[in-house]
Amino acid sequence: MNRWKKLLIPCLMLVLLLPVMSGVAQDSGVLIGAFDVGPGGAPAVIPYMDTAGRTWLSKIWSPLVSWNADISALEPQLATEWSANEDYTVWTFKLREGVLWHDGEAFTADDVVFSLNLAMNPDAATSFPGFSQLSRDTVAEVRAVDDLTVEFALNSPNPRLPFNLILLWILPEHALADLNPADYQNSDWFFTEAVGTGPFMHKEFVRDQFWALDPNPNYWRGAPRLSGLINRYFADETSAILALEAGEIQFTYASGDVALGFEGNAAYNVFSGPSGVTNYMIFNERDERFADVRVRQAIMYAIDRQAITETILQGTAQVVPCIGAFPAMYPAAEELNDYAYDPEMARQLLAEAGFDPSTPVDIEVVTYYDSQFHADALAAIQAFLSEVGINVIPIRQDVPTYNSYFYTGEGWTISYRGVAAGFANFPFPFYEAGGQPTTDGAPLSGGTYQEMLDLIAQARVAADPEYTGLVQDICRFQNQNATEGYMWTAIRFGVASSGLQDFYWFPAPAGGPYDDRAELWSVGG
Amino acid sequence: MQKYLLRRLLISIPVFFAITAIIFALIEIAPGDITDYFIRPELNMTDEAEEAIRARFGLDQPPVVRYFNWMLNVFQGDLGYRFTNGQPVAATINQRLSATVLLAGTALAIGAVIGVSLGIFTALRQYSLWDFSLTSLSFLGISIPSFVAGIIFLYVFSIQLGWFPSGGMRPVDQEPTLLTTIRHLVLPACVLSLAPIANFMRYTRFAMLEVIRADYVRTARGKGMTERRITWGHSFPNALLPVITLLGLSLPTLVVGAVFTETIFSWPGMGTLYLEAVNGRDVPLLMGMNLVIALVVLTANLLTDLAYALADPRIRYD
Repeated sequence: MNRWKKLLIPCLMLVLLLPVMSGVAQDSGVLIGAFDVGPGGAPAVIPYMDTAGRTWLSKIWSPLVSWNADISALEPQLATEWSANEDYTVWTFKLREGVLWHDGEAFTADDVVFSLNLAMNPDAATSFPGFSQLSRDTVAEVRAVDDLTVEFALNSPNPRLPFNLILLWILPEHALADLNPADYQNSDWFFTEAVGTGPFMHKEFVRDQFWALDPNPNYWRGAPRLSGLINRYFADETSAILALEAGEIQFTYASGDVALGFEGNAAYNVFSGPSGVTNYMIFNERDERFADVRVRQAIMYAIDRQAITETILQGTAQVVPCIGAFPAMYPAAEELNDYAYDPEMARQLLAEAGFDPSTPVDIEVVTYYDSQFHADALAAIQAFLSEVGINVIPIRQDVPTYNSYFYTGEGWTISYRGVAAGFANFPFPFYEAGGQPTTDGAPLSGGTYQEMLDLIAQARVAADPEYTGLVQDICRFQNQNATEGYMWTAIRFGVASSGLQDFYWFPAPAGGPYDDRAELWSVGG
Repeated sequence: MQKYLLRRLLISIPVFFAITAIIFALIEIAPGDITDYFIRPELNMTDEAEEAIRARFGLDQPPVVRYFNWMLNVFQGDLGYRFTNGQPVAATINQRLSATVLLAGTALAIGAVIGVSLGIFTALRQYSLWDFSLTSLSFLGISIPSFVAGIIFLYVFSIQLGWFPSGGMRPVDQEPTLLTTIRHLVLPACVLSLAPIANFMRYTRFAMLEVIRADYVRTARGKGMTERRITWGHSFPNALLPVITLLGLSLPTLVVGAVFTETIFSWPGMGTLYLEAVNGRDVPLLMGMNLVIALVVLTANLLTDLAYALADPRIRYD
């Protein structure tokens, strides 16, 4: 027994001393955050393959223009000014002078030409054309007029080209000119020797663990105050929240119910903002019942959206009148139907449409959402609709399964889903025949609204302020005809340690990129 | 024995091919593919871009052609590249496998050593307070889900006491050392070892109780042999078979990983990788992982059978 005791005592001592002997080094100048947790994140994505994760990418690479801090307007980045010809087919961008790449080389217009050509190159098979709607079909030519001027020649008018260019990360031609576009996605360059123009420079990347950056002393806005920035990867939000509470990280995304728990706690600052994503029910009008406007309107009257957002969702969502996610996209309130909760009206409309109130109907509602927010919301919708004789059967599927048949227009009746619906990414293709890959060539819902299509056609080639007016007209039409069941836009949250100074975060769809002035961030207190 | 070994190895070859073919077929009939994964429902994407993705990954070829192409590449030592991020499959599996073997191996070792020891301890004290207490705790160990145990461990030892990090394999702001690795390993390994400890304890206790009542043990005791010699020289070796079975069945966990524990502790292992592969319809990765898992399961089964013969001289395969 003595021998066992001799072994046991050192083992116990080692366990007890471990925390002391190997404590995490505390460097007050390094900010560690979970920047890729939540819907705007995507760990270890590379430029042009970024379906999300742009908040982090913008620390290393920069576009010509980005969103501003609250994504309400554009903010110059590597470009300082831009202008178009009369019909918006030729755009000229003036570039910022004196910008250096992380390796000290000068940034020039050739880098912009190289970047756009690479992003649109079919051999590189990037996601850029799909998301930016800029491809070799739409862009005739991009050329460097001089070192600091770039010209984009388009095949058709595009009054909002700068918005499309938000997704064009500028990459260094001198470092990547020899890269075979076909090897683009397999290249290790982005994780081993990445060179950008952003406020931070690549230091160390450990796959599935973290990505560490050093400050860029040559950043055009001035050297960052932080001595390091680290993006730590987490498999889920709960783990990140626990790490925040343990003091191991200073920032993470948090879902609404979790973030509300941090409010009022002096140790944390809660950031919030509109997600820019509208949640709605798309009715499949190939099912004749939903081609009847009375049925669609009845569903709107049957659901108390205000009560759901205020009570069940605890104020973490705002009711929307149409697909637009921001108030600037809405016409005056008196021009809109607020579809205030009115189950009697709903029953009456359903009866007029031929529904027999004594015979409840079962309707499957498919969704790809798996968060508690949407589970609660869908449960509430289910309860409200049961009051008017509609039994909702919720079906949750993973994204590939959902996508595999949703866009065929077959096999679903109603889908509870979301769509990014900001000014620059208004989901026009959703409403146009052939705009999305539906097998029957019809718009996603299967319903064609000629008046709305005419408005969309005008908006596509209109510049502000006419564009804003047209978007509001589209909103009015959608609202009055209940073309879809417009529910709410979620507010999304981030939680940061109160020790961070001048830190800023905004829940931009897919992470922006937006102007967060990361060079001013510091860790204190 | 050699004949038996050769026969088992030969049988393993068609079994291995059948496994890969069945898995490929199952992936094929599952709804959605990598293109569907890349379409973000909340963002616009043109059908041209979708077609480009499909062509890039060779999804325009018939499934049989794709399967044979994959097999051909495997024989050349090439597991291909991941659909979702373009990284080499072999390197990805290698990296994740190391992490999983470290975590699951530690947990299994803890489980086997503590579980077997407690099993012997309780069997020798049947119906005592120790026996009742530890047997009850073993039920808790088996029934408590790892995501619950994980959260509790994290809350107590990381957030409240601050003894251990809340996750990850290494510190992000300093070079990893043996000590930091152990420090990151302690909590997830302890959580993951709860079920093995309970299982090994219950199997060992049951087997020991059977053996210590056997005639040859009574004879040994009648001959005046010491209890220690009876226990370790006669009872325990004869109670080993069920323990070996359990150990053999546990070996695949060394490569399969533990999704919940890995998720909670942000441990980049095979479990979460498999989940990523399924969610992303990442066929090359799924096939590569299944290849490794199938090989390990077949090997573990073979090793278990061979270990029976070593542990029990009465078992002969010739």
